[in-house]
Amino acid sequence: MGASTVSLRSRYWNKEAQLAYLLMLPAVVLLLSLMVYPIAYVFMMSLYRTDRLGRLQEFAGMAAYLEVFSTRVFWETTVRTAVWTVLAVVVKAVLGMIIALVLNVEYTGRRTARMLFIIPWASSVPISAMLWKWVYDHEFGLLNQTLRATGIWTNPPVWLGAPTSAFISTIWVDIWVGVPFMALIFLAGMQAISRDLYESGDIDGANATQKFVHITIPGIRHLILIATMLSSLWTFNDFNTVFILTKGGPGTSTEILITAVYKHGFEWLRFSRAAVMAVVTFVILTMLSLIYARMFFRQERDL
Amino acid sequence: MRRMRSIGVLVMVLLLLTTVLYAGGQREEAKPTVTVLWALYDGLTEEYRAELQSAFMAAHPDINLDIVPVPWDQMYDRITTSLAGGRPPEVSVIGTRWALEFMELDAIVPMEDYVSQATIDNILPGTKEAVIEGRLMGLPVAAGARILAINTEITDKVPATMEEMRAEALRVTTDDRYGLIMPGRKHTELTDFAYYLYAAGGDFFEMEPDGTYGRSTVNSAAGVKALEFMVQLATEDEVVPPGFMATTRMEAHPVFYSGRAGYVMIGAWVESALADAGATFDVKYAQIPGFEGTPSTPLVITDSLVIFKDAANKEAAGKFIDFFYQDEWKARFDELIGFPPVTASAAELPQFQTPLYEALNEAAVTAKPWPLMEGFAEVTDIVWDAVTAAYLGQATPQAALDDAARQIDRMRGF
Repeated sequence: MGASTVSLRSRYWNKEAQLAYLLMLPAVVLLLSLMVYPIAYVFMMSLYRTDRLGRLQEFAGMAAYLEVFSTRVFWETTVRTAVWTVLAVVVKAVLGMIIALVLNVEYTGRRTARMLFIIPWASSVPISAMLWKWVYDHEFGLLNQTLRATGIWTNPPVWLGAPTSAFISTIWVDIWVGVPFMALIFLAGMQAISRDLYESGDIDGANATQKFVHITIPGIRHLILIATMLSSLWTFNDFNTVFILTKGGPGTSTEILITAVYKHGFEWLRFSRAAVMAVVTFVILTMLSLIYARMFFRQERDL
Repeated sequence: MRRMRSIGVLVMVLLLLTTVLYAGGQREEAKPTVTVLWALYDGLTEEYRAELQSAFMAAHPDINLDIVPVPWDQMYDRITTSLAGGRPPEVSVIGTRWALEFMELDAIVPMEDYVSQATIDNILPGTKEAVIEGRLMGLPVAAGARILAINTEITDKVPATMEEMRAEALRVTTDDRYGLIMPGRKHTELTDFAYYLYAAGGDFFEMEPDGTYGRSTVNSAAGVKALEFMVQLATEDEVVPPGFMATTRMEAHPVFYSGRAGYVMIGAWVESALADAGATFDVKYAQIPGFEGTPSTPLVITDSLVIFKDAANKEAAGKFIDFFYQDEWKARFDELIGFPPVTASAAELPQFQTPLYEALNEAAVTAKPWPLMEGFAEVTDIVWDAVTAAYLGQATPQAALDDAARQIDRMRGF
C-alpha cells in the first residue's frame, strides 16, 4: 500500500509533472471560469427563482422544470428541434457526399469549383441569413421574381409567412450554409483513400456503386461520424438562421430550443425558465456527443 | 550571457513602452464617457447624430460622448443584456412602458437628480408619462398618438368608422394596389392589434379598484371583434399586401410610401419617411376611426430617455440631456422624426403648425397608451401568437384570444 502510494506520488508529482501542471494552470483556470462556471450557474438558475437580471433569489427546487415541462409549446419546440436537426444533417450529409464525389473527379476547373463551394461556409452565417431573407421576400425577392418572370409559379407563396414554407425555407438556409463543411471533410477523406483499392476493385470487376459502397464509404466512415456529429451540434444550436429569418415565427412554427432560450431569457427576462431549456439542450447534446464518441472509439479500435 | 542580457534589455524596453502606452490610455480614460443608446427612428439621420455628438463635445471638452445607434427591434434586448452584464450605458431611449421593469430592477434613477430644473420645467406636462410613484423616471423623447394617413391618389375618403374604412379598402384594392397596410410578422410592438382593440372599445386588462391591472381582457367581446375584423381584412377581403404575414411594421410601411396602399395607421414619422422614400403623391391625415358606435381611441406611444443607476458618469449624462433638450437640437430631432414637440418652447415654433401636427394634437385628446406594467413584453408575445394563429386559421379569433388570456393570467399569477 505504502509502496504503491510512493510510486503514484513519484509518477504524478515529480519535477516534470509539476512543470506540466504549472503550464496547464492558465488553461485550466480559463476553462473553469469561461466554461464550467457559466454551465454550473445555468444549472443553479434552473433551480432558483431569479430576478429579472438573472440573479439568484431563493431556492425553488424543480418548480421551473415543472412549469416548463407542463407547457405544450415546450414539447412542440423540442420535437421540432429534433426534426430540424435530423432533417438538416441528413440532407447536408447526402448533398455533401454528392458534392465531394463531384469534386473528387479529375476535370478542368475543379480547383475553381472547389473554391466556389466553400463560399457559403466561409461567409458569416448572419450575413447569409440576411441575404436569404431578401431572396425570400414576397414582393421584391429574387426567388419570387424569378418564379413569376419565368412563369414557373405566377402566384408564389409567402415563403416566410406560413408555418410549413417558413420551416422549409429556414432549414434550407441552414443546409446551404452547412453543406460545404460536409463536402470538404468528405473530400479530404476520399483523397486519402489509396488508389490501389479502386484499381483492385476494377480488376475484380466492381462497378461504380460497388466501389462507392465497399471502398469509399468504409474509407471515410470515421470522417462521416465526426462531420455529422459536429454538424448535429451546430445545427441544434443554429440560432442565427432562425432568429434572423423568422424569429421563430409565424407564431412558434420555426421556434427551436436555442431561440426559445433567448426569448424567455432576454426578451421576457424569465431566466429560470430559460435556464431549464438550456439545461435540456445541454443534456441532449451531451448524450448525443457521448453516443458519437462511443461509436467513434469503437470504430477506432476495430481499425 | 550577452544574448541573455540583450533579451533582458528588450523585455525592459517593451515593458516600459507598454506602461507608457497604458498610462496614456488611462489619462484618456480619465475623461468621463457618456454612452447613449440611440433609437433609430425613421427620418433620423446619421448626420444629425454626428453633429449632435460633435457639438456636445465642443461645448463640453471635458466629456466624451458616444451616441450608439440601435434599431428599435433590438433596443430592449440590448439594454437588458447590458444590465445583466453589469455595464449599462449612461443614457438610453426606451419605450416608456419599460420604465416600470427597470424600476423594479432598481436600474434607473429619477431624472431630477441629474437633469436641470429648467429642462424639466420646459417639458409639456401631458407628455410626462414616466412619472412613477411621484418621481420622473424618464424624460419624454418622442410622444405621439397614432393617426390614419390616406393616399389621396387612391382615395379621398376619410372613414368615420372602421366599417367605412373596410368598404373603401375593398373598393380601391386592385391587383397592384391595396386598401390598407397590415404587418403580420411578430415584432416588438403589438400596435396593429391595439389600434383595432381600442377602436372596438376594448382594453388589455380590467382595472382593479386600487388602480392595478387585473385579469386579461384581450378575449372580451371587443377583443374578439377586433381580431375577427383584422382576419377578415387580411384573409377574406384580401385588401392588404399578400406578403403581410412575413413583414414587420418597418417592412410593411414602405408599400404605403411607394404609393400602393390607400390607408395606413401610422405615427408621426410618416412625413419624414415619405420624404425619404421620395413619395410624390399627396397625403391626408385623419383620426383612426372607431367601430360603429364606438368613439375614436387611437394608441398613443411615448418613448423616454432614462439614466441608468449603475452607469459610471451620471452627472455628465445629465449635462448631455440638458444640452440635447435645447430647441436647437430637440426641435430639429422632433422635426426629423416627425413627432410633435415635447417641450413648451419648441411647440411654439412655426414648423410645428402644419396639418400633420393638427391631426396629431387632435388624436392626443382621446388617445390611450399601452398598459404601464411589468412583463408586458411577454404579454405582447402571447397576443402576437394568438393573432398569428387566427390569421393562419389555426384557431378562431375567440379560441386564440381565450388561450392568450389564459396564458397571460397564468403568467401573471391569476
